[in-house]
Amino acid sequence: MEGVLVNQGESGNIHSEATHNSHSSEISPQQVFPTLLGTLGEHRELTFFHYHIIDLPVIIYDKEYGFDIYSNIDKMKEGGKYTFSETHKIVKVSNPNETPTLDLSVTSLVCFQWLAMIILLVAFFRVGRRYKKDPLKPPKGLQNLLETIFIFVRDDIVLPNISDRKAALRLLPYFVTLFVFILLMNLFGLIPGGHTATGALGTTAGLALTALFVINGTAIRQIGFKNWLHHLLGGAPWYLFFIMVPIEIISMFTKPFALTVRLFANMTAGHVILLSLVGLIFYLKTIVMAAVVVPFSIFMYALELLVAFLQAFIFTILTAVFTGLAIGEHGEHSEHSAH
Amino acid sequence: MDQNLAKFAAYLAAGIGAGISVIGAGLGIGKLASSALEASARQPEASGDIRTTMIIAAALIEGIALFSCVIAMLLAIK
Repeated sequence: MEGVLVNQGESGNIHSEATHNSHSSEISPQQVFPTLLGTLGEHRELTFFHYHIIDLPVIIYDKEYGFDIYSNIDKMKEGGKYTFSETHKIVKVSNPNETPTLDLSVTSLVCFQWLAMIILLVAFFRVGRRYKKDPLKPPKGLQNLLETIFIFVRDDIVLPNISDRKAALRLLPYFVTLFVFILLMNLFGLIPGGHTATGALGTTAGLALTALFVINGTAIRQIGFKNWLHHLLGGAPWYLFFIMVPIEIISMFTKPFALTVRLFANMTAGHVILLSLVGLIFYLKTIVMAAVVVPFSIFMYALELLVAFLQAFIFTILTAVFTGLAIGEHGEHSEHSAH
Repeated sequence: MDQNLAKFAAYLAAGIGAGISVIGAGLGIGKLASSALEASARQPEASGDIRTTMIIAAALIEGIALFSCVIAMLLAIK
């Protein structure tokens, strides 16, 4: 496994040239853990163990230079505008301390996210077409799987938590997509050669951003803008607004932030433990460790499988719970009674 | 020297802070699990609902622990 790993951590004791291009270099015991942990980060190429599959494009936007698209890292270096720093960041040649304004590169995590999207689109459109053709035909194959997931999300996640049935059914497609998308991305990390897209803060933050819009959008739509503003008081008398409104606004943003960090930390922690266990063999340079490490890492792997499902479930159900809370009991009566 | 001292203090604070917050989260989730077990032993027909509610509460407790982990991480990479 060594050699192909590009260390992106802060350690900086591995030179980019050495790890980026040579596939057979030895790694000393001290560098085992930083190198292994580097595999968790984003890569600018797709690899399957030793085998290099494809270089990923580097897309950079900068105020000074404008848009630049290179087919891989070496082309970028040849271009003469940007280079790699010792800590594996893209920096400008003219000023090594300055990074470009935006790095929109397609990385390995983005690739696996796209893969999940493609699988979802193909699966759901195929199944959807079958239902359109003949809704009463008994389901078969993939249809059974997706129907099970759909019913599970509807009956166990959305309907019990969002009291307004009409709003719940309208939001159901969002929740199903959220659940299956997160689940697929989590499971990709458990396939050899795969990457967990949810192990990056950017991905989970994006997902939580949609949750923020759904929570508040649904609340505004269901109970009206005025009542939504009223909710910012948290049920307290109006003269307490200078305390309650900041608290409620902060809590509005804390919920998606907690969703972001929870998913990211859970997906990353499991991988870190697995890699650390495997790293012990190479660190101590003895095969005896394998007798301890292998059973324990299989156990951790099984736990990871559980966590992959559990975190997809938790993300979805918490979004549903927050949406339900934001709508509140306003389905029937819109007047704020004393709590 | 001063830089080293600051780094030392930051690492120490990160480690101690993460440890203390983990104690809190562990106590919280332990209490939650014991109560949920008692409840579902007393009323086995409600165990499905109890499990779901327990998972949500556990996730929220975990969220608080993760906040402190983020703070510890920010200190550690300072």
